[in-house]
Amino acid sequence: MVALVAVIALVALASLASVAAPYDPVAISLGDKLRAPSASHWLGTDYFGRDVLSRVIWGGRVSLVVGLLVAAIAMAVGVPIALVAGFAGGRVDNILMRVMDAFLTFPPLLLTVAIVGSLGADIWNVMLALGLVNIPVFARLVRGSTLAVREELYVAAARALGATAPRIVVAHVLPNVVAPIVVQVTVTFSAAIIAEASLSFLGLGAQPPHPSWGRDLNEARRYLVDAPWLLIGPTLAITTSVLSLNFLGDGLRDAMDPRSWRR
Amino acid sequence: MSAYLLRRLAQIPLVLLVVTLTVFALVHVTPGDPIQIMLGMETSPEAVEALRKRYHLDRPLPEQYARWVAAATRGDLGSSIRQHQPVTAMIAERFPVSLRLAAGAMLFALAIALPAGMIAAVRRNTWLDYLLTGVSVGGLAIPNFTWALLLIYVFAVTLEWFPITGAGTAPPGSSVWAMLAPFVLPAVALGIQQTAILARMLRASMLEILTQEYIRTAHAKGLASHAVVLRHALKNALIPLVTIAAIQFGYLVGITITIEFIFAIPGMGSALLDAVVNRDVPVIQGFTLFMAVFFILANLVADAVYTLLDPRITYRS
Repeated sequence: MVALVAVIALVALASLASVAAPYDPVAISLGDKLRAPSASHWLGTDYFGRDVLSRVIWGGRVSLVVGLLVAAIAMAVGVPIALVAGFAGGRVDNILMRVMDAFLTFPPLLLTVAIVGSLGADIWNVMLALGLVNIPVFARLVRGSTLAVREELYVAAARALGATAPRIVVAHVLPNVVAPIVVQVTVTFSAAIIAEASLSFLGLGAQPPHPSWGRDLNEARRYLVDAPWLLIGPTLAITTSVLSLNFLGDGLRDAMDPRSWRR
Repeated sequence: MSAYLLRRLAQIPLVLLVVTLTVFALVHVTPGDPIQIMLGMETSPEAVEALRKRYHLDRPLPEQYARWVAAATRGDLGSSIRQHQPVTAMIAERFPVSLRLAAGAMLFALAIALPAGMIAAVRRNTWLDYLLTGVSVGGLAIPNFTWALLLIYVFAVTLEWFPITGAGTAPPGSSVWAMLAPFVLPAVALGIQQTAILARMLRASMLEILTQEYIRTAHAKGLASHAVVLRHALKNALIPLVTIAAIQFGYLVGITITIEFIFAIPGMGSALLDAVVNRDVPVIQGFTLFMAVFFILANLVADAVYTLLDPRITYRS
């Protein structure tokens, strides 16, 4: 519950950034550079005199969009593969899953960096790369659930009534594998936030002057001695969003199917 | 050697096919002409054509792929465009550095996770257990590059205990401490998340073992409880832990990039980042391929270790 409220609050804050942020996140004010946290700038200001709190709130928007799109790409491609593999079984299943396994042998961060490196450093390429990297994860997970659902009596009943395979998959299998998909979306979301922050930190994602938690931590790195408070905002933002998404995922897992999801 | 391991070996050709095709495809999604990037702006069409011939870029794609794979099996991954150095030479130079960093991180993780996981299991549902669990959940939510910045601020900037840079660059003949000290903060930053994972793993498997019959028997025959925990429970809990640690070690080698960037460590990650910034395609390709193969082997070793450690384990399909 707390996690759900926290996630909703974060989403609201990020989507209402233009109202919620006290200052313009890219407005440079060199007279106010590297100010410590105060009543007018709760989290201080950075080297260009930009308000850190406003940048953190706007940065949340980047993380939100990245998380949503990455989960959407991974789901849109991974779930159909999983449904086909799991429902068809046999040779089709074997081939599709071996290919997915092969993709899983890449160290994920390295593959993402290599894809972004080949496409060019850009936040959209980061989303694309992270989405691609997460496809096999979705496919593996949902295929497992599909295999279980395939053996259910209602599937046999539908088949006996003469339903076609595509219809059975869409009308009977898909609704029953929604639970693991939803849980996986929250997991992917939080992993994507960390990955985007890492890539932007390396200079491969969001480009200046756009606010991004990872990017801003890279700038904070240069002023560790003079302005250590620059670390506070982005670190807290990443940690609270990852924690609340993870807790939300755990909660959903317990709530939706306590039997098959207990570890 | 079980049939399971043999089956895993039999799958490797397919895995390698997918891996090589993916890495090969990376070049062809790169916007812009690699030859143009290589030569810079001022080039005559003749020079471009000559280089295109030399790198066989004028051949059809399947032939290019075949040539590239054939060369890779001979240990030839091409040459860096920027460094004017064979990619394999770069790997030979830099991979040991990343390996050392990952080993340091794993050492730190095991040193903390072993006692922490054991204590949490033995003292389950006490404040100590909750504290350790809370710390590991929190530890996992902070990315390792953020840990690195926090550690730098506390232990390098404020306390001045450890240097920030210099890992892997100490001149030969320096004291052991001068060589090790720069590795401390990077290794800890890289290892914190693994510490949390391993501690939670160990706690879970210890809890399962502590409810077994033979543990009750050991207690019943009057064995001191520390002996029961160490000799009977821990020994069995270590089997899955070692396997996870082996897999996690391979994973660690693949995520050193942010840490190498922060601490200026001349390993695989920082070289890959340079290659990405400079569009040095042969390096990106070669490094990705090498790491994927390393990952496959590491997982295979982890599986083999698992079957060797526990004679009961037989994989069946």
